[in-house]
Amino acid sequence: MAVAVPPRADAPPRPVPTGRGRGRARRLLAPLLFTAPAVLFVGATVVYPLLYSVLQSFFDIGLREVVQGGAQWVGLDNYADQFARPRFWDSFGVSVVYTVASVALTFAIGLGLALLLRRPFRGRDVLRALILVAWVLPTVVSANVWRWLLDGSYGLLNAMLRALGLIDGDLFWLGRPGAAVAAVVFATAWSFAPFAMILLAAGLEGIPKRLYEAARIDGASPWRQFRHITLPQLRPVSLAALLLVFIYTFKNFDTIFLMTAGGPGGATATLPVYAYNEAFEFSRFDTASVATTVLMIVPIALSLFYFRALRKERDA
Amino acid sequence: MTATHTPATGSRRDRLTRRWLATAGVLAAAVYLVPVYWMVVTSLKAGDAVFRVPPDLVPLPPTVESYTRAVFSDPDIARGLANSAVIAVGTTVLTLLIALPAAYGLAKFKVRGIGAVMMLMLIVQMVPSVNLALPMFVLFSGAGLVDSYAGLIIANCALAVPLAVTILRPYFLSVPEEVVEAAKMDGCSELASFVRIALPVSVPGIVTVAVVSFLGAWGEFVFGLSLATSEGIQPVTIVLAEITNEFGVRWNDLMAVSAVVALPVIAAFVFLQRYIVAGLTDGATKA
Repeated sequence: MAVAVPPRADAPPRPVPTGRGRGRARRLLAPLLFTAPAVLFVGATVVYPLLYSVLQSFFDIGLREVVQGGAQWVGLDNYADQFARPRFWDSFGVSVVYTVASVALTFAIGLGLALLLRRPFRGRDVLRALILVAWVLPTVVSANVWRWLLDGSYGLLNAMLRALGLIDGDLFWLGRPGAAVAAVVFATAWSFAPFAMILLAAGLEGIPKRLYEAARIDGASPWRQFRHITLPQLRPVSLAALLLVFIYTFKNFDTIFLMTAGGPGGATATLPVYAYNEAFEFSRFDTASVATTVLMIVPIALSLFYFRALRKERDA
Repeated sequence: MTATHTPATGSRRDRLTRRWLATAGVLAAAVYLVPVYWMVVTSLKAGDAVFRVPPDLVPLPPTVESYTRAVFSDPDIARGLANSAVIAVGTTVLTLLIALPAAYGLAKFKVRGIGAVMMLMLIVQMVPSVNLALPMFVLFSGAGLVDSYAGLIIANCALAVPLAVTILRPYFLSVPEEVVEAAKMDGCSELASFVRIALPVSVPGIVTVAVVSFLGAWGEFVFGLSLATSEGIQPVTIVLAEITNEFGVRWNDLMAVSAVVALPVIAAFVFLQRYIVAGLTDGATKA
């Protein structure tokens, strides 16, 4: 990239003001003016609402208190109430199953696509970009398309399964607990795998070619090259991809809310869906805050761990 | 190009492998995009053709009646699209106004606390939207921001600003220090060197952030769902989710509306692909 303005050698350097106290204040003033708006904005729109929400979990807050104020402090009652409820733990379990299955599938598909599109050929970058459309598509759109593809009577998936003789008659994927979980896992992986693909493709680019050349000279088969060079070399990038996809999936709300709304019978009600329903269906902002507080701990702990590791690696 | 250019790849076997891999790559991408294809195909089918078993893989004859019926003659969709445009443009502008100076400041000034601020910007990106939507609903109710463009724009920016700062900072880091210093020697103020030197050379980063912010707000769902309670203000994502039930099995109409909602995303992708790909992955990985 070209530099826009070359330094002018002919201009005489101006004396820089050197007054101690004033200079120091001015040195600090500029950084403050540049960064303060963003820090204050994030503080007001993210940090403050999060703290507020944690605080809410210690009060008794329904719709009346939201409108009129006057909430009562109840200490840990909301937590005791939620932790004693089977439905809360059910949705926690659904979240774990959904997240682990989606992350595994996302990673497998992402790695497969990255490997297939690894060698350069004409049109490869276009294909990568087309696949990425799945990731940036608004979730409302992809969720509707999946509901249509999975339709029991007229959906494309069942038409293919019938043609292959695997099912006969209708199968309502989103109406059966097990099949509904599989369906939302699949839809999630479809959306997130392109993201994993891009991260892993960058990781593959970074593997030194000479490792493969040396292995080929030693007569290593493609499988052995994959097993002993590609996979170990890809480890740091894989960990990053797994962690990020885990966080994104664990907090994902849209896909499930739009495909099944947590149903049938709570089979796909993950923690975000549970929290949303507590607040906006039942107007229990206090118990919803318990759920979101639990929901928040996992991604924040994982991301702290991730960014620390990232820094340590870079500083080393 | 001849084989002598890259001798390592010249062998016949290797070329054959390459051709196989390329074919497999094309096939994989084709399979991957079946859902998008099916959306478009269904939107071009007439009402009864949707229920054919087995389904037609190509709409013959194609018809745009779903578009004229469900999209263009429905005032709700038009209003939703307009609302989404207002919210997405507002989000993009406010995000750039806040994030550009911050990213510059975090890249160019050597003061304590920058590491902590960057860490904050990264971690808040991991916060689930639901966690923000719930307290925002309560706080915005008190501030009169529920059901307003301002409220929705602020909520979208809460997630867009931290992402924008992390994407933009590396661009400003790569602006050579000597150039900025030379400008200051010439009497440029801190603000002038930001506006006249750093911004022009960082245009690719600015485009990336603008596109990512716009698309993020365009497809946003949770804030629209919880903070836009009246129809007049709802973004198109919420309108689409609500008509889903109303449409029932009119899948061709539903797919037509979905395709229209997806159009800006696909258009942006076709024209600005290289910016987006960088932006979508940089935010999370370039700490």
